[in-house]
Amino acid sequence: MTWILLLFVVLLAFALYFVIYASVQAQIQALHGATAAPSGTAPPETEAQLRDTLQTLRPAQVLGFGLSVVSGLGSVLLIVLTASVFGNEFTWGTLRVILALGAPREGFLAAKYVAIVLHATLLTLLGVVTALAGSEIVSSIAGLDPALPGTFATDVIVNVGRTVFTFLPYIALAALIAVWSKSAGAGIAIGLVAYFAEGIVMSVLVAFNTDYATIANLGVSRNVSAVARLAGSTPGGAPPGGAATLPDPGQAALVLLAYTALFVGLTIWRFRARDVTSG
Amino acid sequence: MRDVVLRTRGVTKRFGALTAVDHVDLEVRRGEVVGLLGPNGAGKSTTIGMILGLVQPSDGTAEVMGRDVWRDRERALAGAGAIVETPAFYPYLSGRDNLMALAIIRGGAARTRVDPLLERVGLTARAGSKYRTYSLGMKQRLGIASTLLADPPLVILDEPANGLDPAGQREIRELVRELAEEDHGVLLASHLLYEVEQICDRVLVINKGKLIASGTIAEVTAGAGTIEIALSDPARAAAILRRLPGVAEVRETEGQVTVTAEPARGAELNRALAAAGIYAGAIVPRKSSLEDVFLDITEDGGGGAPAGS
Repeated sequence: MTWILLLFVVLLAFALYFVIYASVQAQIQALHGATAAPSGTAPPETEAQLRDTLQTLRPAQVLGFGLSVVSGLGSVLLIVLTASVFGNEFTWGTLRVILALGAPREGFLAAKYVAIVLHATLLTLLGVVTALAGSEIVSSIAGLDPALPGTFATDVIVNVGRTVFTFLPYIALAALIAVWSKSAGAGIAIGLVAYFAEGIVMSVLVAFNTDYATIANLGVSRNVSAVARLAGSTPGGAPPGGAATLPDPGQAALVLLAYTALFVGLTIWRFRARDVTSG
Repeated sequence: MRDVVLRTRGVTKRFGALTAVDHVDLEVRRGEVVGLLGPNGAGKSTTIGMILGLVQPSDGTAEVMGRDVWRDRERALAGAGAIVETPAFYPYLSGRDNLMALAIIRGGAARTRVDPLLERVGLTARAGSKYRTYSLGMKQRLGIASTLLADPPLVILDEPANGLDPAGQREIRELVRELAEEDHGVLLASHLLYEVEQICDRVLVINKGKLIASGTIAEVTAGAGTIEIALSDPARAAAILRRLPGVAEVRETEGQVTVTAEPARGAELNRALAAAGIYAGAIVPRKSSLEDVFLDITEDGGGGAPAGS
């Protein structure tokens, strides 16, 4: 499963550049066709907007556009992976074999968390690299500026780190549900419902009244957006109510860290006391 | 006296109002095979779970090589290898890789034992195949190999012959005896009573969470049996025999009475009948098997008198 998830991210990050490029080109050509016809005139700003969209496909924009794709997709995939990694130990019965060897329970959990965070880092890094590859190829076809800023390598490291940091609450949540329910399926289902539902509810809340942003900013999704925007990345698009309603990135990081600590703490507490039987 | 490798004292597990295991004391020494018997739901797996630190006891202690499993878990369980309930491995890894993963957790020289153990349980040819492609018998063999990775003093096997054909069951019996000869202490939970009768030095019978009998096979089955007496007047004979001390039950059939009593008492019963003018045509003592005794004491509701010690 781990390799399939990695391959999925890599292919999508790469292919999306071509899909967007082909789509924008088709729309520009359609506009030109309409302009040539005697009855129609294309609004000049529409083509300019499309050309602006093309500019987001430049390599210099990879940490904005490409990383936002990887970030949005990565959260979902990591919920699936984490719930499977923890829940399948119960389903397969391998947990009791490992614990019966005398392996410490906290050590077992720690090994799982480390493995998943490493996977998340690899997934994000590979996603950025393949997005860059897609961007370079599309730029050469479209005649876009292929140059990268001088600080690109450093920016990649910093922003991959930030993105992985935004994954942590979702990883911790999926692990908590899988350990609590002793099931990968429940971990995936409840984890994904929580991920999407929380994002939707908070968005609706802020869209309804920006005063509610204070409450919404206590959730996970808007704090993830606040941290992601530091790289110019906007997973899930622009936030309702505008970026100004998002929390301060430092505060957002603390909130995300608090959620992660809470979920990990509850997981350890439950796992330490849990009897490991086949039931 | 050989070293005690496993000792439990009053281990108890309560799930709310239900007491699944009730103050069980047991010992396993080096070089002996101890059978843990009991009907389904008797508390065998919960007891094993408590020994292996998987189930937290409500009361009592479990020690492996003198180390408390809950206070000194890592060092205590370094002395044990176990199949718990059923063999369980990662389905996407090969048999060899599964053992190697466990060997890494075990540490020490466990890694060097992987291939010799695969050879020992007859899995060398399929060692590279994915675990999910294994038959039940192969899974059991891999499970047994995994218990021996660290060459532990205590080996716990939960239904190791489950799913094996007769030849496979015999191989497992031989392997278990070999383990005892190699100075491992073996705790064997099994439903196959003839298997237990053949390979166990001692048995422990658990029912409804309580240890209701323990001892050698001879001790547990001692005094248990029937005596069949062929005669012409079963009704009168039965009335005489029922009055004798130590006779548990007398059943009459046509031309025969069957007396539940120690098989060695045939001559005594014959004398009692002869004194009343009843002469037996034939007297056949039948010693109860472990299965007979097991069924007798476990159907008794769990609180029956210990058959052995």
